[in-house]
Amino acid sequence: METWVVATGLIFVYLLITLVLGVVANRMLTVDMEDFLLYGRKAGFVVLYLTVVASFHSVFAFLGSSGFFYTHGVGFWVAGTWTLLVGAITYVIGTRIWALGKAFGYMTPADMLADFYESETVRVVVAVVSVVFTILYIQAQAQGLGYIINVASDGRIGIELGTLILLTVAATYLMAGGLRAVYWTDVLQGIWMYAAVWVGALFLAYELFGGPLELWRAVLEARPDLLSLPGPNGFFTPGIWIGMTITLSFGIILQPHMMIRYYTAVDAKTLKLLGATTPIYLMTLFIPAALIGMGGAIVMPGLEGPAADRIFPELLFMYAPPWLTGMILAGATAAAMSTLDSILHANMTVLTRDIYQRYIRPEESQAHYVWVGRAIILLLLVVGYYMSVLTLDFLVVLVTLSGAGALQLLPAILGVCFPGGRTLTRAGVVSGIAAGLVGLYVTLVVAPHPLGLHGAIWALLLNATVAVTVSAFTEPPSAETIERVHGELERFVYGTEE
Amino acid sequence: MQAEPKRRSHFIPRTRDGWIATGAFIGLFLLAMPPVTHLVLNRTDPWILGLPFIYASLLIIYTLLILVLVWALRRGV
Repeated sequence: METWVVATGLIFVYLLITLVLGVVANRMLTVDMEDFLLYGRKAGFVVLYLTVVASFHSVFAFLGSSGFFYTHGVGFWVAGTWTLLVGAITYVIGTRIWALGKAFGYMTPADMLADFYESETVRVVVAVVSVVFTILYIQAQAQGLGYIINVASDGRIGIELGTLILLTVAATYLMAGGLRAVYWTDVLQGIWMYAAVWVGALFLAYELFGGPLELWRAVLEARPDLLSLPGPNGFFTPGIWIGMTITLSFGIILQPHMMIRYYTAVDAKTLKLLGATTPIYLMTLFIPAALIGMGGAIVMPGLEGPAADRIFPELLFMYAPPWLTGMILAGATAAAMSTLDSILHANMTVLTRDIYQRYIRPEESQAHYVWVGRAIILLLLVVGYYMSVLTLDFLVVLVTLSGAGALQLLPAILGVCFPGGRTLTRAGVVSGIAAGLVGLYVTLVVAPHPLGLHGAIWALLLNATVAVTVSAFTEPPSAETIERVHGELERFVYGTEE
Repeated sequence: MQAEPKRRSHFIPRTRDGWIATGAFIGLFLLAMPPVTHLVLNRTDPWILGLPFIYASLLIIYTLLILVLVWALRRGV
């Protein structure tokens, strides 16, 4: 049987399984916003672990990371630093967010920040930043999905049709089962993508070099420039190393689709265990990516720019048996869909909770909001599809900004989650975020990475400076609110009230 | 402008285990950051377990960082 038939068939088998999971999740759904949006706040360790890692690692981790190793060499091993920080952030900040969510019924990042800073402006700003910067990820994941199915079918299914099919499947199981469907499919996706990358990388290493260690020796002989910093093109400078570490840890964790996961944990112990162990999965996924990328640079040189991201499927089609290629491309589909469905869900949650329920129809039934959420998913499906097929210039600019956008919420979140010192104010937080977003545009688009330091770090420094300065001259939240929120954290973290 | 309630900082550990976990994590993390990465780790020799030095040393640091998190969990930090 031809490779494209097996590969495409396995992807469709995988899609069918996700739809079945969505239907089963629908049978267990109660007509309740907490159940539909937050899994009833009862996600256990295994489900939460796999949904966090599967959502964190997108199609970029599956295809793009190999491309990075292919082009820039061992410098991309910096990826380990941000995966470790993700664990520490979950352990320290995630548990605090969970505690406040449980105590005060928060469902979104904006819920928490608007409550503490006593400001509807903060709610709207945070909701808009959350949606604008993560909706761009829909475009990236959807384009990745279209590309994968196009490659798997050997060009017989066009990228646009492939994008539409996969977006529709993700939206369907999300509408059917809510976050429960997302979590269950993420369990499948998390296991599948991890196994696929490892099996594919080891197969290629043994097939082409005789083993992983022999592959490293071959890299030293053929391309020693790939084994040093800052790499062949001088990309991994110290400033970029630090910038990627901060941006791809805090910047992704503070996006709504990741933060909302903290609210869903069954207890704080589960989240701490999650924080201590997620780096194992997240970091070790880049070990096979290094083998694929640097091995590919030797056996298939000459891919430049975005073409380097194709190195994994190109090697598979050339050297792997059809069944293995199909399994692995289904794994790539899983990587993209697990992030895509989480972002669709998070944007739906923010728009339903922070905008519709808050400002448009505040007194409706739980069932009403669940159905509105489903309608919003359909709307996001249409928007996501058009964004993915119409690559407009301004979208390219926005995608450049997207990774660092949520990072601008960091000062405001630290102000809520870490008592002590001077409290930030609503005016300080809003002006800090505004300054940070302007700073992002300047340091990532107008004059990228001034003085060699990643633009996101410049923007964050500007944000924090403005937030602290403005807060020094403006009205803080009421003493009652500070006491209520920070007192809850004091009890939660230290078990005492001072 | 009203007075803010005063509370001990949550940025500073309050227990011995908290200090150890925080210090160990930050210390190890700095080993995986510039300038150490670009000046000290940036070489292939000696190879460790068949892997180039820069790759193997970072892998060891990452593993130790995970162990610090697991230790903190076991000690209830």
